Amino acid sequence: MRTYETIFIVHPDIVGDEYAAVVDKFKGVLTDQGVEILKVDEWGTRKLAYPIRKQGRGTYVLVAYQASPEVIAEFERRLRIEDSIMKFQTVYLEKGLEQVPAAEEKAEAEGEKAEETA
Amino acid sequence: MNNDRRSSRPAPRRRFGRRKGCRFCGDKTLTIDYKEIRNLRYFVSERGKIVPRRISGNCASHQRQVTEAIKRARNIALLPFSASHSVD
Repeated sequence: MRTYETIFIVHPDIVGDEYAAVVDKFKGVLTDQGVEILKVDEWGTRKLAYPIRKQGRGTYVLVAYQASPEVIAEFERRLRIEDSIMKFQTVYLEKGLEQVPAAEEKAEAEGEKAEETA
Repeated sequence: MNNDRRSSRPAPRRRFGRRKGCRFCGDKTLTIDYKEIRNLRYFVSERGKIVPRRISGNCASHQRQVTEAIKRARNIALLPFSASHSVD
């Protein structure tokens, strides 16, 4: 088993129940394959550094989990099919998941603040 | 007059705040992560280019890690590929 983390950007027009459904769906895709999800981090809607599909904003979701490589292939295939997913990236965590929730949240809040002023 | 002017002229300043030695080697608590763009900003020029090692002062291995992190951040639209993309 290897630790991976996938970050995907949901279309900004997908909000509320629809958004929750999308996130649950992909959590389901992982759990159906017997994957242990370590962390789900919803960053919320934030500005993109460059437009994707003519959208300047996107909703970021970060999922960390332990899986075997075949699971990644299937998960990414499903992400590619889904229209509401604008972009995704899977990264292999060599050191496993490091627990630094407090620092992360702080940095995130500051980042959002900076975006608003920008 | 001429002599005065020459002597009062400041020495050519370095363009980026340059410090000696690798900041990651100096402070082991610093982490390089593509998700933490606030820390990576320092290693990206205003145009979005990766700052070279001779200016950032990073050691080779940390520069490689920074480069990797910046490229990952670009892929997922956390950092721009270039400054020309303007998002409204």
